[in-house]
Amino acid sequence: MNTNQSSGGAAGPMSTFMPMNIDAHPLEFTGSGGEYFRVWIVNVLLSIVTLGIYTPWARRRTAQYFYSHTLVAGSPLEFTAQQRKMVMGFVLLMLLTIAYNLAANTGQDTAVGLFLLAGAALAPFIWASAMRFRLGATRWRGLRLQFTASWKEVYLASWPVFALALVWFGVFYGLQLLSPDLAQALETIEEEGKKQPMPSFTPAMGGLVLLGLVLSVLCVIRMEYNFKSLLVLKAQVGAEKGRWKPVYMDFVKVWMATVAVFILCVVGFSALIGILAGSSIALVASQSNRLGLWMFVVIIVSIIAGIFMLILASAPARAYREARMFQLMWNNIGVSHVARFKCHLKSGQYVWLRIKNMLLTLLTLGLYRPFARVSEYRMKCESVTLHVKGGVEQVTGAMVRQQQGGLGDALADAAGLDLIG
Amino acid sequence: MSAPEHPALVPGRWFDGQSSKARPVVVSLRSTPQGPSLVLHPLSQPGGEPVVFAWKQVGWPEAWNERKPQPRVVIDLRDHGSVEIDAVTEWRAALAVAGERPGIAQRMQTRWPVLLGVTAAAIIGLTLFYRYGTPWAATRLTRFVPLGWETSVAENVLKQMDEGTLKPSELPKERQQQLQARFNTLVQQAPATLHRYAQYNPPLSLEFRSGMGANAFALPGGKIVMTDGIVKAAADKGLPDDALVGVLAHEIGHVVHRHTTRMVVEQGVLNVGLGLALGDVSAIISTGASVMTGLAYSRSHEREADCYAIALMRHTALPTAPMGQLLLAIARDEDNEDAQKKDPGKGQAAAASVPASGASTPDAARQRKTAQEIGSHPVWSLLSSHPDTVERATELERGHAPHCAKG
Repeated sequence: MNTNQSSGGAAGPMSTFMPMNIDAHPLEFTGSGGEYFRVWIVNVLLSIVTLGIYTPWARRRTAQYFYSHTLVAGSPLEFTAQQRKMVMGFVLLMLLTIAYNLAANTGQDTAVGLFLLAGAALAPFIWASAMRFRLGATRWRGLRLQFTASWKEVYLASWPVFALALVWFGVFYGLQLLSPDLAQALETIEEEGKKQPMPSFTPAMGGLVLLGLVLSVLCVIRMEYNFKSLLVLKAQVGAEKGRWKPVYMDFVKVWMATVAVFILCVVGFSALIGILAGSSIALVASQSNRLGLWMFVVIIVSIIAGIFMLILASAPARAYREARMFQLMWNNIGVSHVARFKCHLKSGQYVWLRIKNMLLTLLTLGLYRPFARVSEYRMKCESVTLHVKGGVEQVTGAMVRQQQGGLGDALADAAGLDLIG
Repeated sequence: MSAPEHPALVPGRWFDGQSSKARPVVVSLRSTPQGPSLVLHPLSQPGGEPVVFAWKQVGWPEAWNERKPQPRVVIDLRDHGSVEIDAVTEWRAALAVAGERPGIAQRMQTRWPVLLGVTAAAIIGLTLFYRYGTPWAATRLTRFVPLGWETSVAENVLKQMDEGTLKPSELPKERQQQLQARFNTLVQQAPATLHRYAQYNPPLSLEFRSGMGANAFALPGGKIVMTDGIVKAAADKGLPDDALVGVLAHEIGHVVHRHTTRMVVEQGVLNVGLGLALGDVSAIISTGASVMTGLAYSRSHEREADCYAIALMRHTALPTAPMGQLLLAIARDEDNEDAQKKDPGKGQAAAASVPASGASTPDAARQRKTAQEIGSHPVWSLLSSHPDTVERATELERGHAPHCAKG
């Protein structure tokens, strides 16, 4: 969502002498769930027939469907990525995956380790090339978006990753200082595979671990903040640069609210499950004397249900975070001095839509997914209004040629960064 | 299709890629052998020359919906910017007149018969590929896997199992030597003609362990493990050692057909292929399909090993009937055990034999659920790693199976 809508920020020239009218342009989405269902089912079928090789074509069609039905100030967005480059990226990614799987399956630990290490070191690079690809492939009124951050800026923005590593290094070092026995106990466990009596766990150690956890969460938030602000500040339409207002604390607040929602959901869910499980155990116990087997079944079922419920219970929190983050972003960004966005997304409504979509998708074994995707996209898209000072007619910029490779996109896809939404 | 004398003129707005300012244009299409070419007539400058774009130089927007066209389409002129058109219906009509040949995706998108046709092709193709294509490809690819890799995997697996569920054998030395001798004779008598891989001659060896119930399994690279349980089971039923030799022949079959290695390749193809094809529908469906197909491959490997056992036993003039009886007896024992006491401990034992699946655990432990439920529910047969025990036993008793090529 972020990428394709930031294109809305094209605007007039920076004329500050004359007061100019500010026009409001609500974003429109003209697609429909039924129509996208057919786009999607065609993609699925062709992927099956071609044994998955159709994937890059499917991705392009999906992006084109959503882009061409999104109207920003009356003009549709264009997704202009070259198919050839997307296919090349896909093939490269497949070769990497096969190489990795071969290494993993044949037990070559060094190769696997190298792969993982390279993946971690290249993560900022992958993210940046994905963003470069996406913005560069987006066009609005004939103008390409650009992502102009240099690799140095991208790696500087990823300092929280290294801070995270330092925090945990510090925590383990601190633990060793506080309790030399612990390290020994851990070593013997590793060597013998047997449980030794663990040394006592002092409050100081607990505090240290807690501190480590809090610091890591702060690092993760900082990471998100850095990447998002870099994306907006280094995005460009024509010669106009992106504008970014949120501060780090805004992000922390959203995360804290999310944690609160999550805890509420978990408490509510566990109360519900407690009542249900309690009554069913009582029911079984009263009806059957073969308690042994039934207890076993009940335990297995409740473990599976527990994992499922955890996913279910975290869903509202995840949707809530997404909605709040979306509001924060789209209420506080713009394009230089000429365009601003306003967002009136309702968190409660969005959370409810996500829950409904998740349940329907589960019930239909995934066939509802295209409808869910369209309804979520529509709600987010249509909540945004573009305010432009001086008309959308006259953004100028140097001619930007499209030259981005598709590997960044393929990698981002593998990492779960969706092109749409 | 012949182009009319006056091709339709469709009004549009042209953005040149340098600024967001729209310029009024009129677009017309000419039919060429490659496909329609686009002619752009600028209206803003009087006397401006029309610009022609060949079929290949234009990104043609796809038609998503025949009956309800989208309100506005954008034509991608690559480095020359883009053209916005409001009169979408006229634009599509002009395209049709100029002889546009829509791609397969667009035809599926807008025409139901094409969609249904491709659906049918997808189902048939998918079935054929995963039923015949993948096993065939895996058989070929396995040729290139070195024996050394198999041996190192086998060592790792056996070491883990020795630390876990397996214990040293409690069989008397003499008994072990007796069976060892029969095994060696069998290996010496095995004709090379039965081998699927001509160049593949791993050193076959037999080891004894206790634990994991009545069972035997083959590790890649030629190591075969027999549990005390299966030796005892044969003795309890008063079956001759030919029964155990039959089981060993089955395991040798797994080794010479390189089933473990083939399974690794097949599972890789399944996970990647089905993940890509069905991953966007739902993880449950793609994982389910990959597990079910994997089980089908496992069943076909078991049949292949049975065929090998039948052929080898016939070659060495030994009966296969005792092996069939042993199979049935073990399955029956486990049913009885289950019926008497379904305690959770057993369930764990069954789960513990799953890690051995990489080493194609054949006979008993995982049969329990199938043997018990198969009569009442045919669905179980799809969820089993082994073919139906009764069917297998009957074939072994007859010494002939319909699915064996040279049976």
